[in-house]
Amino acid sequence: MEGVDQLSAASIVAGIVAGDFSATEVARASLAAIDAREPHVRAFLQVSADLALEAAAATDARRAAGEPLGPLAGVPVAFKDNLHLVGTRTTCASRMLQDYESPYTATCVQRLLDAGATPMGKTNMDEFAFGSSTENSAFCRTRNPWDVSRVPGGSSGGSAAAVAAGEVTLTLGSDTGGSIRQPASFCGVVGMKPTYGAVSRYGVVAFGSSLDQVGPFGRSVADVALAMNALVAPGKDKLDSTSQAVAPGFLDGLDVPLARMRVGVIPALMEHESLSAEVREGLTAASAALEGQGAQLVEVDLPHMAAAIAAYYVIGPCEAFSNLARFDGVRFGYQEPGCATLAEQTSWSRARGFGAEAKRRQLLGAYLLASGVYDAYYYPAQQVRTLIVSDYATAFRRCDALLLPTAPTTAWHLGEVSDPTQMYASDLFTISSNIAGNCGVSVPVGLGADTGMPLSAQLQGPAFDDAKLLRIARALERGVEAAGRYAPGTVARLHGVTKEEVWPA
Amino acid sequence: MRRLQEVLRDWEAVIGLEVHTELTTLQTKMFCDCRICHDDPPNTNVCPVCLGLPGALPVPNRRAIEYIVMAGLATNCHIQRHSSFYRKHYFYPDMSKNYQTTQGPVAFCMHGHLDLEVRGQGAQERPDATADKNEDGSYVAPIRILRIHMEEDAAKMVHVGGSEGRITSASESLIDYNRCGTPLIELVTEPDLRTPEEARLFMEKLRRTFMALGISDCSLESGSMRCDGNVSIRRRGTTGFGVKTEMKNLNSFKSLHDALAYEICRQAEVLEAGGAVRQETRHWEPSRRRTMVMRVKETADDYRMYPDPDLAPFDLSDEFVQQCRDRVPELPDARRDRYMAELGLSRKAAEQIAGDPATARFFEQAVRLAPRAASMVANVVVNMLPAMQAVTPEQTASIAELLAAEAITFAQAREVLGLADGTNEDPRRIVDERGLRQSTDADALAKTVDEVLERCPDQVRQYRDGNKKVVGFLVGQCMKASRGTGNPKLFNQLLLKRLST
Repeated sequence: MEGVDQLSAASIVAGIVAGDFSATEVARASLAAIDAREPHVRAFLQVSADLALEAAAATDARRAAGEPLGPLAGVPVAFKDNLHLVGTRTTCASRMLQDYESPYTATCVQRLLDAGATPMGKTNMDEFAFGSSTENSAFCRTRNPWDVSRVPGGSSGGSAAAVAAGEVTLTLGSDTGGSIRQPASFCGVVGMKPTYGAVSRYGVVAFGSSLDQVGPFGRSVADVALAMNALVAPGKDKLDSTSQAVAPGFLDGLDVPLARMRVGVIPALMEHESLSAEVREGLTAASAALEGQGAQLVEVDLPHMAAAIAAYYVIGPCEAFSNLARFDGVRFGYQEPGCATLAEQTSWSRARGFGAEAKRRQLLGAYLLASGVYDAYYYPAQQVRTLIVSDYATAFRRCDALLLPTAPTTAWHLGEVSDPTQMYASDLFTISSNIAGNCGVSVPVGLGADTGMPLSAQLQGPAFDDAKLLRIARALERGVEAAGRYAPGTVARLHGVTKEEVWPA
Repeated sequence: MRRLQEVLRDWEAVIGLEVHTELTTLQTKMFCDCRICHDDPPNTNVCPVCLGLPGALPVPNRRAIEYIVMAGLATNCHIQRHSSFYRKHYFYPDMSKNYQTTQGPVAFCMHGHLDLEVRGQGAQERPDATADKNEDGSYVAPIRILRIHMEEDAAKMVHVGGSEGRITSASESLIDYNRCGTPLIELVTEPDLRTPEEARLFMEKLRRTFMALGISDCSLESGSMRCDGNVSIRRRGTTGFGVKTEMKNLNSFKSLHDALAYEICRQAEVLEAGGAVRQETRHWEPSRRRTMVMRVKETADDYRMYPDPDLAPFDLSDEFVQQCRDRVPELPDARRDRYMAELGLSRKAAEQIAGDPATARFFEQAVRLAPRAASMVANVVVNMLPAMQAVTPEQTASIAELLAAEAITFAQAREVLGLADGTNEDPRRIVDERGLRQSTDADALAKTVDEVLERCPDQVRQYRDGNKKVVGFLVGQCMKASRGTGNPKLFNQLLLKRLST
């Protein structure tokens, strides 16, 4: 079967239901695409061919038996490697968990499997999700499928690249400060960070528990909506006490433009000094596209936005420090051999198991939580959080969603950004929605005139208005397509591939 | 070393307790569905949550929150409507996440108190001038409770190889996570206790209270209730605090009392010799009757506490607190006072029955059937039932009524109960069938008395020399001679009559 990368998730399901092709054929086509493109992209840490063919065979058997098929029947999916799936390792792209077999299956993963999806494997990421380029992986550097000399963004870079390269149809990532939206932007795909609590975090190796949220990548808003339906059904996960019930109505009226749609813009951010010229151009085009779909643009403000990044780099490391404390080499993960004492074993296992950025964040957290320091940072950071929540509440009284940049620039070259604080600054426009816990989505709006790389715009909506946010995202996608700038379903072109690229390296 | 009572004349002890109680009567752990059963094979009652596996999340046990609120209400605490769980960090393999989920500055229960009635010998530990004592030397000590918070228990570590099971000499350490995640409530008193006796009484009262609530089996021996004691001393008349030491391994009421008593005397000796008390944790060794240094605290530990982002803050509703209040039964001390006032029980019997919820339930059932023989029911419950297997409240009521009517003797009652034990037989029928009746036949009894007096010339001489107490012995001999059938009151009367002539 050719051209599986040209099909939407819905058309794969429809084709299998109609008998045009089987789930096994789709799985084999996905495996073939992975074989062909992985040497250049390196989006995957593991390809689970056996699990995939087994699941596809089960889907085909269900159809043969006349049983109803799930809403994602036979759709090839992959998971960021911080999500547990029994039968695969969950490495978090860290030496610490290099050989760690998933002890159970994450709720979000299980829900896609329950919907009939075919699990193709686990995707690369920044170690424990610390980073914005996937260069912090302990195992390999994933390339941007649009230009393999560039990064895919991060931390969910593998998930974004696998979808952009047409290797699979949907992937899951996690977004703690922009880790779904920014790589979606870099790779020219749709990436959604749902409202905090909309998707269960059970089985997601935690980075920042109050910030983490799992969400889907797809090549169109409709594919992402289909994945969201599966992620929220059948209701609240009783294993995650911070999760809430959300109705699976993401496809309802998705194509119907919202009546009296109001989209808020923040002039200071739309013209922010950090934005490259092509990103600005993309935002102007996005505004025009939305207006073309009937949206009224209104000026709003998030006055404390600048403080969000500071609050994030307090709260994130504090939570990471305690979430990663369990990796001590005693019960699981890397254990330094030959230590004489427990303290030595803990220290050396952590020293050798964690990479530089993972250590940096944990040290930062350990410092920020120390007595005498805590009051000066952690508490003010929580106050900032309250201010940002109230900023959003004020803004959303005047509009249905906000239009923002996703990232200040298009994807940069591998190794180009080495200063961590410069890397942190690239999250400026995404972090505030993690701080506030509301929803955001990145939508491709064209290719940059200077770099030729994908441009995106970000939409953010009020908490638990995820379905409405996707309707507005769909309007943007439609407007962008109508303007001839970018078509949903676009697969990256693997620019810059040279013959000496081999895998494994 | 000087004796405690002497030391306490010059020095005042300042004692605070930290009491950990496992909520053993719950079905499942604090944050997961695992069974609470420490005796199962190691690491069988475990899951991703209590093992701290990556990606696992805690879900609070509602019943555990009910239990701690009940504990707070029973100890006169303010129930905090708004509180949250915190993470307390330390690296040690008994805590699977390397942080313990516990509570922060605001606990579910804050600022309670228990009043202790200190009486008898133990009241003498406190010099008379320092307490408002009653004529009999008893006094009431009001003890403030700082807080009761909720937390999870750690795993059990077993150190193998080497001596004494201590970690320092062990060749390897095994970890059993069955206990990890068991709901634990920690009560912290204000430093209001002034004598080891007060500490012991506080602990006893707390245990009685928690037993009555049914929230734990409260076993000091097995460690489901554990107590650490903090103690410092200061010169009488001064108000500053001395350097305190922390006492561990206080796994009985006696250990708690004796360890504190030892430590007070030890500190006094150190200070009187011009030395200084070090802030340290000490281990009570009951066999050697002394405390030994476990570790010296030079710097305060930094646990890097912060609110647990995996657990939303609690907002307890009025309805919830009221539900908990409705579930708090009559507490043992109130029940004891009621037994004394309404049923005329002795303080000792009332305390013994009221202190154990199952015994109290049994007693009240029996009293309902024999309302006019309440103190005889108490007598049977306290003195006879411990030796029996399965006597019913109905049987107890019958026996008590027979005894109250002086129809049978205590010895006969014991025999009848032994026969009725484990059956549904009515003791009255057994009595009738066997013709077991208390003998009030004056001639027969007088004959027995004469025989006894003849056999016991020494006691008779003692009596005539003024030792009147010896009559008790002689009554006992008469009872024995009559095989327990004679009326002891009549024996007593007859003996007195014979001896005075």
